[in-house]
Amino acid sequence: MTAQTGQRPSPASAPARERLRRGSSLPYLLIAPAVLALAAVLGYALVRNVAISFQEFGRRELISRTTRWAGPDNYLRVLEDQRFWSATARTFAFMAVNVVLIMVLGTLIGLLLGRVRKAVRLVLSLALVAAWAMPVVATVTVFRWLFDTQFGVANWAMRTVGLSGYDQHNWFGSGLSTLTVVTVLVVWASVPFVALNLYAALTTVGPEIYEAARVDGASAVRIFVSVVGPMMKPFFLITTFLEVIWVFKAFVQVYAMNGGGPNRESETLPVMAYIEGMGQNQYGTAAAISVLTLLILLVAMSFWFRLILRQEKEGQP
Amino acid sequence: MRKLTAALAAAALAAVATACGTGNGGGGTGALTVWLMDGSAPQEWLDELNAAFEEEHGVRVDVEIQQWDGIQDRVTTALSEDGTVDVLEIGNTQTVGYAGTGGLAGLSGLEDEPWNEPMLASARLDGTLYAVPWYGANRVVVYDRAIWREAGAEVPATRKEWLRALETIEENTDAEPLYLPGRSYYVMGGFVADEGGGFAVEEDGRWKGALNTPEGEAGMAFYARLHSFSDAPADNDEASPQQSTEIVPNRPVASWIGLGWEAAAAIEAIGERGQEADFGYFPVPGPTADRPGHVFLGGSNLAVSERAGDRELAEAWVRTATSARWHQRFVDAYDGGVVPARTDVTARPAEGSFAEAMVASADAGYLPPLTGGWSYVETEPNPVKDLMTRVLNGADYRTAAAEADTEITARINRD
Repeated sequence: MTAQTGQRPSPASAPARERLRRGSSLPYLLIAPAVLALAAVLGYALVRNVAISFQEFGRRELISRTTRWAGPDNYLRVLEDQRFWSATARTFAFMAVNVVLIMVLGTLIGLLLGRVRKAVRLVLSLALVAAWAMPVVATVTVFRWLFDTQFGVANWAMRTVGLSGYDQHNWFGSGLSTLTVVTVLVVWASVPFVALNLYAALTTVGPEIYEAARVDGASAVRIFVSVVGPMMKPFFLITTFLEVIWVFKAFVQVYAMNGGGPNRESETLPVMAYIEGMGQNQYGTAAAISVLTLLILLVAMSFWFRLILRQEKEGQP
Repeated sequence: MRKLTAALAAAALAAVATACGTGNGGGGTGALTVWLMDGSAPQEWLDELNAAFEEEHGVRVDVEIQQWDGIQDRVTTALSEDGTVDVLEIGNTQTVGYAGTGGLAGLSGLEDEPWNEPMLASARLDGTLYAVPWYGANRVVVYDRAIWREAGAEVPATRKEWLRALETIEENTDAEPLYLPGRSYYVMGGFVADEGGGFAVEEDGRWKGALNTPEGEAGMAFYARLHSFSDAPADNDEASPQQSTEIVPNRPVASWIGLGWEAAAAIEAIGERGQEADFGYFPVPGPTADRPGHVFLGGSNLAVSERAGDRELAEAWVRTATSARWHQRFVDAYDGGVVPARTDVTARPAEGSFAEAMVASADAGYLPPLTGGWSYVETEPNPVKDLMTRVLNGADYRTAAAEADTEITARINRD
């Protein structure tokens, strides 16, 4: 084992770390199954996807098992397609609204968790976990009923509070309205992740810090902005980063809600790739759309990557 | 270390299991796999046919019933794989598309049977027969006799009389005069065909959308007129919610436009509620009394997969199933409620039955463009349905139709 017999080796103990870094192949063996599984499931699919994006690949090619290389044709066709650009703009707007709402509401509820009584905290946590654990398709089905034209609770609630025009209001009558309902769903389902993690992170902040700030006369807002906020900066960066990715690639929530409709007005990039690929059997075009989606996301996120890397560097002594 | 090995082994096993896929039945195993669509074959007829076939050829016939929802993906995948399916039923609007992919075997041995000529058109591509017709079906108006009697409405023979009957029902009863969802696009296509138009036209070997035309506009205008008698929203089609089982049994509907199996399903659903359906049937009325309105000639063909394990055996099953003897029994099992695929088989519908109204309008049938790309137009999001919803919600027909035509043209020329 370790040189310090009789003592539990702490992860930071220098000799142990030194041993792991050199010589031993154990870390690589331990990580091998994960890497292999990822390579088999994701890596292979990714390589195939890129290859298909350079092929003329439709129903005929699939059934007759022929390969027709097309060069950059698929990409050119997609880039010339007005629908692709409106879907891109829509995806970014959808993502921005969702991430802002998720982060703001998640943070507020996370802070609330730290301030309420134990019993209330338990109930709130359970509610959050339940929302987080609900399967996506089941959630969408429930939301479709909530916002149903004839029997929906949403219309009933609107009428009850005295708003007119909600007798048979069709919530899925326009792309914007549909995406608004999807936003409510996505935010509702994603807030628990932010709230619970923030609460967990806040428990590491000792009460003496709050006390000191309060002695200095800081208000609650001031404490958050000047004390808790900066301490939680890595948390906010990483969580926002994850939420951006999750919302950007949200497919089931949008597609199951209204199939990208009406009239393709709620079509985001993942939905467009699916409709072109599975609906129209234009596998080459769909692959090109998905590769472009990935590239757009990478470029958009590179800025975030840099921020996080810099933060890590600053964090190290 | 042992655990690690075990984990790796498990991962490898999982990969192998996935790679093996779901290959069951079919080619090479000595059994014949037949895919039929839900509701197509009467069970008794199918059992007897297969028993006879198994006895004659000494092979087992595995029938796998498929649902219409999402069928195109499954057929595409099945035709690309070995040993998944030997014989399959394909909708008549989709057959030409699959024939063009090379996934269906040519059936030249079945050329000389006395097929119903209009139905044969959907099974042939560039002079080669890739499938044989199995049955045809079309929609008629189903009406609740009690409500019509109460309202004092007459069964109409022309569009004008039809509208008058619906007005009478609206004035004299609380029932919904006609249940017509906003996106029943094959019904709308019939009204366009009544005007002499169609979904698309072929020009110099290229297809293009033809809805932005006076014929298209007039057809849609009549549809909108009918839709104004319905409480159905503009963004539903006849299948969601399922009109026969989820709408008609649940509220007073004076009439609706449906297929034979839908009428049967509605009668059953009403029966389950302890009531008795009192349905009458009449052909969709045309502009004039001498000819009923155009209705979509739906139907199915039987085809053999190019990758069938034993193609001759598969062809033999198709030959037997569509032989005069077995086809007559098939048509009889439906009480004449299907359009026969052979001219030497006749349907003998009972008086006042669905079948009688259906056969009366079968001559005024229309088919959508018979080209491989049509199946892409039919796939959701369907531009014709989107056009209908938009127009019913008040959009300008010409603008919306021009956009629909662009989309139809883009899709219909795909192969």
